[in-house]
Amino acid sequence: MGLRWYHFALWAAFIAIMVAIPEFVSKGTLRIIIFANFLAIFAISWDVLSGRTGYISFGHPFLIGIGAYTSAILTKRFDVPIEWAIPAAVVMTMIGGIIVFLPALRIKGSYFALVTLAFMELTYQLVQVIRPDLTGGTRGMSGVQTLTRGALNGYYLSASLMVTIALSMWLLMRTQLGTALSAIGMNEESVRGSGLSTTKLKLFAFLTSAFVAGLGGAFYVHYLGSIAPRALFDINFLFTIIVAALIGGASTIIGPVIGAFFLTFLLEYLRPYLPGAERYFIYGLIALLLYMYEPKGIIELLRKGWHRLFSRHSVETPS
Amino acid sequence: MSHPLQIDKLVKRFGGLVATDNLSFTVEQGQSVGLIGPNGAGKTTVFAQIMGEHRQTSGSIRLYGKDIGAASTPERIRLGVSRTYQVPRPFAEMTVLENIRVGQMPNNLWQMIRRKPQHEKEVELALSVGFLPSDLGKTPGELSMGDLRKLEMARTMATGTSVMLLDEVFAGLTVAEIAQIASLIQQMRKDGMTFLIVSHDLKALEPLVDKVIAINYGARIAEGTFAEVMNNADVRSSYLGAA
Repeated sequence: MGLRWYHFALWAAFIAIMVAIPEFVSKGTLRIIIFANFLAIFAISWDVLSGRTGYISFGHPFLIGIGAYTSAILTKRFDVPIEWAIPAAVVMTMIGGIIVFLPALRIKGSYFALVTLAFMELTYQLVQVIRPDLTGGTRGMSGVQTLTRGALNGYYLSASLMVTIALSMWLLMRTQLGTALSAIGMNEESVRGSGLSTTKLKLFAFLTSAFVAGLGGAFYVHYLGSIAPRALFDINFLFTIIVAALIGGASTIIGPVIGAFFLTFLLEYLRPYLPGAERYFIYGLIALLLYMYEPKGIIELLRKGWHRLFSRHSVETPS
Repeated sequence: MSHPLQIDKLVKRFGGLVATDNLSFTVEQGQSVGLIGPNGAGKTTVFAQIMGEHRQTSGSIRLYGKDIGAASTPERIRLGVSRTYQVPRPFAEMTVLENIRVGQMPNNLWQMIRRKPQHEKEVELALSVGFLPSDLGKTPGELSMGDLRKLEMARTMATGTSVMLLDEVFAGLTVAEIAQIASLIQQMRKDGMTFLIVSHDLKALEPLVDKVIAINYGARIAEGTFAEVMNNADVRSSYLGAA
């Protein structure tokens, strides 16, 4: 996989920072970081599928929603222990991933994106009318069992989940499999023409993405202790995930993590100055400028900076 | 012994249009066969059917004696037949070596994760089609048309193919590049590769082929050595449009 010393150094530094953060920040900031951790998980999930294969998913809240709802319903309505509910939620989300995969056998590009958007909208309408006694209908659910108490425990749980997912996906994407998935994004016909089954590869990408989304969704609902369909199946939530992945650097796993933190803090720090929706104007402007001048995202800016610092010693760029 | 490629009574209809009309031919082991015909004669459609990109309406395609009519494109490639495209289709954001790597990969997800890229073999393939060591890290955007053709041939060879279908390999190339590609094909013929080559550049094709098949409106109009086919009255009229 071509691991180098600086890969170990960077990962060690990343983990050390994540462990040390609670020592330096307030409870309030910690709660913001917890949200950034979950956003990073969702952005990684999106990146594994859309960043690599080019099948742009506008339906990620659909997958996250399956994970969150399954675990919430199982624990709250059926008293299933949480350690069984979460794996069950992940399995359900992967089944959802297969549903999203089916149109990808036939269509791609914007048509695929729109179909996945329809999945999200459809689920939003369905949870309100089908068995509202289970889903809580429009009002959603509250009083869902939580895994942790207090910001500190919530932080450690979300951070270790995020770091574990990021590290394992990063390692997975550095194998030849990751190369093959990227190749699909560049030219799917040529991948077939190289003797590889694109159906198999795409199914793997959808299942892996759904696995991460389901895990994130289930843990998220057990952190919040509640679920609100209007906030979950929401176009703003969807775009926050996608912009986090793109602004950080799609197809890199680490980029989406950086993007998620950048975006979360940007929106939070603008809050005192611009309490309303105007914040989104600044956020849009920054995203636009970044895409214009560095379409590969923040990670590419960092990479260039690193390269400038160390170019005398190393011709390789970290990736 | 069974032939590498045997096509029997192949028919392909697109609605009312007969694109391949009862076409039969055989390519023998180590042979290089030219497939020629005027624009729209159905040469590329024949390629597409051999590769399984289009399914034939009727007739059979055999690869080393095995009927591959029901196999998918990746399955056919693993059985030993591959093609290049008239317009090269590289992976735009990958280096030369990474492009070749995709051709080398095993079609098994677990093996893909477990196995490391065979770096030496990638380099060997890249150099064997005529890349310089300094080209290996370049991306397709930095390559000339001739280099893109070489890259396609290297990626095709990386799949372990023994029958290569080349679609208009000389289109859009400079004279020097044509000479390079031609000598590459000659070298590969010596190494035992079986070829089916479509080309409009008959002058470049002549030294590369043992046999030529001419088709028009999807049907075979002549078969034989290059000189025989060129002197065939039907071939001349199909190209020149005169009787």
